[in-house]
Amino acid sequence: MKIGLEIHVQLPTKSKLFCACPTSGDDLPNSRVCPGCLGFPGFKPTLNRKAIEYGLALAKMFGCTIPEASWFSRKTYFYPDLSRHYQGTQFAAPIGSNGTYALGKKKIRIRRVHLEEDPGSIRRVGDGSALIDYNRSGVPLVEIVTEPDLSSPAEARRFLADMLRDVRRTLGMRDDGDRTVRCDCNISVGKERCEVKNVTGLRNVERCLQYEAVRQTRVLKAGGVVERETRNYDEGRKITTSARKKGYEDDYGYIGEPDLGVFRPRAMAESVCATEMSSDIVGRLVGDYGLDPKVAEQIVHTSCRMASLFTTVADATDTETSRYWVMSVASDHKDALDAISDAEFGDVSVIAADLAVKQKAGEITDTECAIRMGCLLGGEDTPECSVARGNLEEIINRLIDENPGVLGDYAKNEKALNRIIGLAMRETRGAYSSSEVVLTAKKLVEARL
Amino acid sequence: MKPSGYNSRYGMFASFSDDVPEGKFQFSASDDILALGFEARCGSEILRGYVPPEDSTAVAALREAGGSLVGKTAIDEFKICSFGMTAECGVPRNPYDPDRCCGGSSAGAAAAAATIPGHVALASSSGAGINVPASFCGVYGLTPTWGRVSRHGLIDYAGSCDRIGLMSADPADFRKLLPRISFRDPRDPSSMAQPDLDLGLGAPKSVAVFKDWEWMVSKEVRPIFENALAELGDKGVRVDAVELPSLRYAVAAHRAIAAAEGSTSLARYCGLRYGRQDGDLSLGFDEYFTNMRSEHFGMAAKFASVFGTYVRMMDVRGSYYMDAVAVRGALVAEFKRIFENHDAVVLPTVPTVAPRFDEIKGLGLQESEYVETLSLPHGLAGMPHVTMPCGYASGMPVGMQLLADHWKEGTVIAAAEAWSKSFKTIKPGAVK
Repeated sequence: MKIGLEIHVQLPTKSKLFCACPTSGDDLPNSRVCPGCLGFPGFKPTLNRKAIEYGLALAKMFGCTIPEASWFSRKTYFYPDLSRHYQGTQFAAPIGSNGTYALGKKKIRIRRVHLEEDPGSIRRVGDGSALIDYNRSGVPLVEIVTEPDLSSPAEARRFLADMLRDVRRTLGMRDDGDRTVRCDCNISVGKERCEVKNVTGLRNVERCLQYEAVRQTRVLKAGGVVERETRNYDEGRKITTSARKKGYEDDYGYIGEPDLGVFRPRAMAESVCATEMSSDIVGRLVGDYGLDPKVAEQIVHTSCRMASLFTTVADATDTETSRYWVMSVASDHKDALDAISDAEFGDVSVIAADLAVKQKAGEITDTECAIRMGCLLGGEDTPECSVARGNLEEIINRLIDENPGVLGDYAKNEKALNRIIGLAMRETRGAYSSSEVVLTAKKLVEARL
Repeated sequence: MKPSGYNSRYGMFASFSDDVPEGKFQFSASDDILALGFEARCGSEILRGYVPPEDSTAVAALREAGGSLVGKTAIDEFKICSFGMTAECGVPRNPYDPDRCCGGSSAGAAAAAATIPGHVALASSSGAGINVPASFCGVYGLTPTWGRVSRHGLIDYAGSCDRIGLMSADPADFRKLLPRISFRDPRDPSSMAQPDLDLGLGAPKSVAVFKDWEWMVSKEVRPIFENALAELGDKGVRVDAVELPSLRYAVAAHRAIAAAEGSTSLARYCGLRYGRQDGDLSLGFDEYFTNMRSEHFGMAAKFASVFGTYVRMMDVRGSYYMDAVAVRGALVAEFKRIFENHDAVVLPTVPTVAPRFDEIKGLGLQESEYVETLSLPHGLAGMPHVTMPCGYASGMPVGMQLLADHWKEGTVIAAAEAWSKSFKTIKPGAVK
């Protein structure tokens, strides 16, 4: 079985690909439009530089060849959601070609990465007429086309999930489920392939491929011939239906877009940072740091910043310290870590490494370390800690006196001890390590039973 | 006389106003150049009712310079044809002979520049659209380098060929007004790469003329252009004969490129959102837009749509569209070689004087292409050129054109000014 995907992802630019209209905001139909994206005669497209940079970042991530010169083309077809009846897309000179994506150990070849504009959207209303909303008209998309290297629907889904995670990280997008992904799925069980157009979301991609695999297998087993055709996926009935036979290839009559001219992606790409694919990061954590592959994957999939923090801390200390530090201290602050800017994250990494070194040397306790980390990410001043090492036993005894109910609860459930531990931690503000507090509390409570 | 007076005599306006403020000067814009307050029909019925939401950059710039817009001049439908006879508003009449055409595409602009005193016309070209009518109507016509004047607000036919230029009876207007409409405009990316306009360039000292030009023009034009060449020689300009091998492919290449791009530009017209929108909405989309296009496109737009779509189809694009693109590259290279040793190229603008309407009626599509043969090589190459009246044959003006290397508008303007100092223009009606 051979499966190839064409994946469309909306790019998170503030404005559209060929005009200054916002890509998000007011959802009132046709409220984010201008004469340009409505296709009014006389208005010329202008090119959104940020969209090209995003496209280049992805092309670099896949290790694509980036051309010296590139341009847009007009893909002409008549459909009412396409305001000019041609789509601005890249045909002869995509900004990336011949890349790969590592799905675990398997290499999935990426044929091309190119930019294009989204058409508007159509809403059919009861009386048989249709309403067109051009808010989406001109929103930048990146299209990622794979070679037919995927060999099962499940693998296709895993590939999509992993790759999209890397794509979102590269583009600095929040994980919004799979709402923004649209796929054209090519699948052949025998010789001839079928294309299922416009499937939305990971689950639907897997389901439609499963359906097609079964359908094509049945046709072949019955001695039939799978015809080359375009099919649609019916999400409700979970089946694919024939849209049109492909006696000939679609002919969109591509020509170069004369209004935008030629741009130089290779020169532009120099200032665009390449992000590492997550499988490469996992490989590096295992290879360079001797981390257990399962743990490495867990860290990378939690957040790539966590992985980055791991290497910074491991470089300053050692793998085991860093593993403990990342999994038990930093992981509590995952969301805060993901929310800060790259520059802030750089600062945090340096301070975190410093804290880990001090903790390893016994200069500060793990508790203090966690508190400082929290303050760092919360933007608060780091509290002064470990100044007065009061008598821990005295403090805990007082806390037990103040909360006598704990003793009875502890007899039923040892977790009741956490109340005393929490209060002691807060009061001593990191002066004692967590293990010290836990052990002392346990000892003193049990002594009173 | 008011615009209405001129219009009833020559029919040069697609729309106009009789009560516009005086202004420092009055100007018109061809009907594919958007202007607030005026419909923009671009010579086509399908755009009837399209009132643009803003001024084009060129119109705004001339208003800023103190100009007062009196109207929109008739053009061939989507500037496709070359006789000025396909405009939806009617056929402008040649000021020198009402039985003859003005030439196209910017037919009305040439008639306005020839007849209205002190008038400056913003005109457009997607190949020979300024050259031909300016030559037929005996005025000066300037087509700047592609990318010099912002095309923001120019309804496009073939984006890689479309240009905005100026027409006037006095080339001094070019020196005055070209700088006002030449600047980098973020709303037209193709204008952003231009170098500064240099009007300090002098008139050319050496010019080249195509070796076989005599065989390419009619016998009435031949002696007049010969005289013009001799006059240039008398003024100390060196005149050499050169070859332009790709010349013979220029018309075919232009047809393919312009129609290929044009058919995509015309694709948007479907009777929705602007222009004619009065079709039968109970029909499905395909039927609706097919009806609207069948009914409201003229033959010019229909031909360009069909032919232009054909030449970019997968199976044939290699031998039509891509070959045409290659010819364009060859033309640019050949011109550049000529400009290594010459300041400019001079040629007759059109092989004939303006033909009579009854002569044109009998012409097929290919037979009418001759009008543009001497304009399309540099029309494709995007080089700046000026056409100027250089004599009269049986009462009709004959034009001579001069073109220079990319961005050297200064050269062609200086040449036109120098020429106008000694050449005596004969006004329409005064020719015997």
